[in-house]
Amino acid sequence: MEDITLTINGKNISCPSGTSILEAAKQKGIKIPTLCYHPDLEPFGACRLCLVEDEKTGRLMASCVTPVAPNMTILTDSPTIKTHRTNIIRLMLANHPESCIVCSQGNRCELRQIAADLGVGETDLYPMPHYTGLEAANPFIVRDLSKCILCGKCIRADHELVVAGAIDYNLRGFKSRPATLYDMPLERSVCTFCGTCLSMCPTGALSLKNEQYVGSPQNESKTICGFCGVGCSIVMGSVDGRVVEVNPSHEQETVNGSTLCVRGHFAHDFLNTKDRLTQPMMSHNGELTPVSWDEALDIAAKQLVDIKKKYGPQSVAFIGSSKCTNEENYLFQKIARVLFETNNVDNGGYMSGRAVLNRVEKRMDGGYRINPLSNIDKAEAIVLLGADPGHSVPVMSYYVKRASRKGTPLIVVDPKKTEMVPFSSVWLNLIPQSDSQLINGLAAMLWKKNSFDAAFIDRFTEGFDVYCEGLKGLNIETVCRDTGLTMGAMEKTADLLAGKKIAFVCGNGILKQRYGIHSMNALLNLLLMTGSPGSERGGLYIPARENNQVGAWDMGAVPDALPGRRDLGIESERKDWERAWQAKISPDRGLDVIRMIEEAEKGSLKALYIMGENPLRSLPRPERVRKSLERLDFLVVQDILLSETCKIANVVLPGAAFCEKAGSFTNMEGKIQPFEPVVAPLGEAKADWEILDLLAGKMGSTQHYGSLEKVKTEIARFIPMYRDLDGHEGPGWVGNKGDRRLFNPDGEGTLIPFTPVVSIEHKDINDEYPFTAILGSQRFHLGSGTRTGQSDRIRDYGVKGEIELSLEDGARLNVQDGDSVRVESEHGFIEREIKLEKGLSEGFIFIPVAFNANDAMNLIGLTRLGGPDSPGWQGCQVKIMKL
Amino acid sequence: MKPKEIDREQLKAIIDRHRGKTWALIPLLQEIQETIGYIPPESIETVAEALNLFPSQVQGVITFYAGFSLEPKGKYVVRVCRGTACHVKGGRSILRLMRKELGLDEGETDPEYRFTLETVACLGACFLAPTMMVNRNYYGKLNPNKVTSVLAQYRKKKGES
Repeated sequence: MEDITLTINGKNISCPSGTSILEAAKQKGIKIPTLCYHPDLEPFGACRLCLVEDEKTGRLMASCVTPVAPNMTILTDSPTIKTHRTNIIRLMLANHPESCIVCSQGNRCELRQIAADLGVGETDLYPMPHYTGLEAANPFIVRDLSKCILCGKCIRADHELVVAGAIDYNLRGFKSRPATLYDMPLERSVCTFCGTCLSMCPTGALSLKNEQYVGSPQNESKTICGFCGVGCSIVMGSVDGRVVEVNPSHEQETVNGSTLCVRGHFAHDFLNTKDRLTQPMMSHNGELTPVSWDEALDIAAKQLVDIKKKYGPQSVAFIGSSKCTNEENYLFQKIARVLFETNNVDNGGYMSGRAVLNRVEKRMDGGYRINPLSNIDKAEAIVLLGADPGHSVPVMSYYVKRASRKGTPLIVVDPKKTEMVPFSSVWLNLIPQSDSQLINGLAAMLWKKNSFDAAFIDRFTEGFDVYCEGLKGLNIETVCRDTGLTMGAMEKTADLLAGKKIAFVCGNGILKQRYGIHSMNALLNLLLMTGSPGSERGGLYIPARENNQVGAWDMGAVPDALPGRRDLGIESERKDWERAWQAKISPDRGLDVIRMIEEAEKGSLKALYIMGENPLRSLPRPERVRKSLERLDFLVVQDILLSETCKIANVVLPGAAFCEKAGSFTNMEGKIQPFEPVVAPLGEAKADWEILDLLAGKMGSTQHYGSLEKVKTEIARFIPMYRDLDGHEGPGWVGNKGDRRLFNPDGEGTLIPFTPVVSIEHKDINDEYPFTAILGSQRFHLGSGTRTGQSDRIRDYGVKGEIELSLEDGARLNVQDGDSVRVESEHGFIEREIKLEKGLSEGFIFIPVAFNANDAMNLIGLTRLGGPDSPGWQGCQVKIMKL
Repeated sequence: MKPKEIDREQLKAIIDRHRGKTWALIPLLQEIQETIGYIPPESIETVAEALNLFPSQVQGVITFYAGFSLEPKGKYVVRVCRGTACHVKGGRSILRLMRKELGLDEGETDPEYRFTLETVACLGACFLAPTMMVNRNYYGKLNPNKVTSVLAQYRKKKGES
């Protein structure tokens, strides 16, 4: 399209047609005051402050909604304009309560700023404030709608960005205000408390509820959110070294734009809780007592080294953290591999289904790993498989909902009616664990329609013939029986998917499920058949639960891969790292988290070093884990909170939370995001990399890093995927593997194999445990809730993690909302309140995890994930008794 | 006396007829308003779901237009004009008289759901000032006698029904 030239305040400007006058002026650095304009929202023209004058005609126009036209001559600051703007502001102020002195928005109030710029003090108008009640029952947002200026930013953010639909304008004229359905308080609406509206409100109509501090923070600095794997860019405001508020960082090209979620926005209270570790501690007669850093590090180093000398390298193990930085995980596994000559190193990513992801990694040659969430917008169809991103990775759900609103077909495969279902074209409420049959069934239907990407299959894959034979043999009626779905629903789905590139979002419902490997294999087959990988219009999205789940793996904090995801079992790969580290690397695969617990139980594992993980809360069967860890000769825990695991440790080392240190996280898109500290570590606590560096010195390492830069340089030098890490150009992307053949025809790589169709025989349901429990997360908590459970505002909100039960089962068991029940599996039991839900089928219950010290883990067995016969951690058979 | 029981089947039929047509929100609401006499608040979510809108959006549209009501109204809705011309011609007295006659304030409905009293900014019939409407009928050049006789007429009608 041709550019349009115009003059604004005498300056010649050239910009593409369709640009608004406001944006054109902004590009030239001409400031026009606005209250309702936001670059991420559709222009609206509500506040009229951005009025500009056409010099030729004298016409006044709202510049945010007026596109540029050729040869316009615009004045943004003429006397007429000023008069009008001043009058608008005077009228707004006359309608505004004079509560500035107690308003938490303070000098950040945009209305006040503009009034000041225009020189409006007294309005000389009769004050007519429109008082409404103050709404502050929820612990997150205070609504004082008497301060609302009706700019509509909150409403548009709600509709356009997070697509929640909690609020819209209600009534008209003077009475008009944003309101929820039936004008209920926010907590009784569909509001998810993502706080996006809060960050956008120009006045104090929406303000942050904070019992600790009210007002503007002293400092604001950017960092990356430390909760889920989306890796949102945030700005943290601090006062006296304490984080008091969080907002999305208003930069271009961030994954979250102007949005956040309830965790990112409000759950940072845990940073200031009294349970933060501020000094090193050692256990004396079962009591943790403070000691000096020197003493703690000396003992930790000596004990670990002695145990290794006495019992050999296999007697020591290391659990790294999917929450710690890339640099820290790199150092951590290097200590294990070089100083202790063991591959007994794992990280919390195990709990997020790494075993199944390993299969993806192997089969796809790493070629799926770079997938910007912004590509969801380009997908031709989206399938959510056992994923409820609204709760697990909320910012991703906004992408999916936006795409769906735009008309992209959305298929939700979930036994539970999730919040994504109202946005879906089809909801396949299948019987849990029948995912692989469903996927194979859909593949067979597509194949019958001749809907497959022959060119893609030819070029990148092998084994399609054998796969087709398998599909031919499938009986769709059997699939319907196994999955509990109707033929109509299957057909509708196949019609929607036919001929399209598909974006699959694959969650814990596959990764941690029984038959997860089979389902994943089936899914990869379907993915390849449709030619979806490597295309912007499709692909595989794995919602990462933890902020650095991807990076911890990349850095080699896993028992079977070296940094850079190099295969430990391949000699040449090992040799590369032996050269880099000038050390011998054991070729033996190390213990994973579960094997570590088992070996400790047997007594063959003697010492364990845990960094930033809380296995006593996050693993199944906490009591068994506790007993097992108590058998260890020596346990070191490096953490930020006095977690359950810290309490049984011999040495506790206080680390720093993500906003108290520098480093980098790799998000679920494959984006490497470096960040700097916002505040200093609490008390004597130190950044984890620093602790590791000091400890390595005491353990006999001759290499002292001394600065994070040196760690980064080493990573960038030896891990080609992270070659951008030591650059200072802002975020980079995981390279190398993404350059493989799938994405780059000249790149290297082998053909990707199809796997044969595997049919699964369903096991009969045990009569003693007639209900199928599905375990899942709720957006208020992350992972096992170690951190979010310590967050005051999350606790105050009062979500109790009620067990959800179908209406029919509720009637049969004679229970109502709020009744307490005992849920028992073959492994253990929990007691909770019940909530009846329309969206559940009979025979199924939903148990939110992370509540009550994550007691739901008592119900499942401590088994390894991803094995062909592993029962998985996502569900179990239970019985229910009313209490 | 209670307002007429809502015919759920009828309501459902109206909504189903418009299912999937997001553009048809206002015609759909008009049809509900016409048929049921008001828009039952509990139908907001059903309407929203059928039209693929947010319930809050549907509520916003309903509360924006004076033509839609979320509360049941009387059988006869009296709208007294408060426009400038009517005001000059004594519209205020007409309203006062109406309040007294019906025993209702503006926006109120009697417990038997016979009459609802409303005011309106202008009926657009200034040459007939002062004016009012009862349901769809205009009454102009009002005076106290005429008001009482019009009301008597409707009161009688109600007796018949």
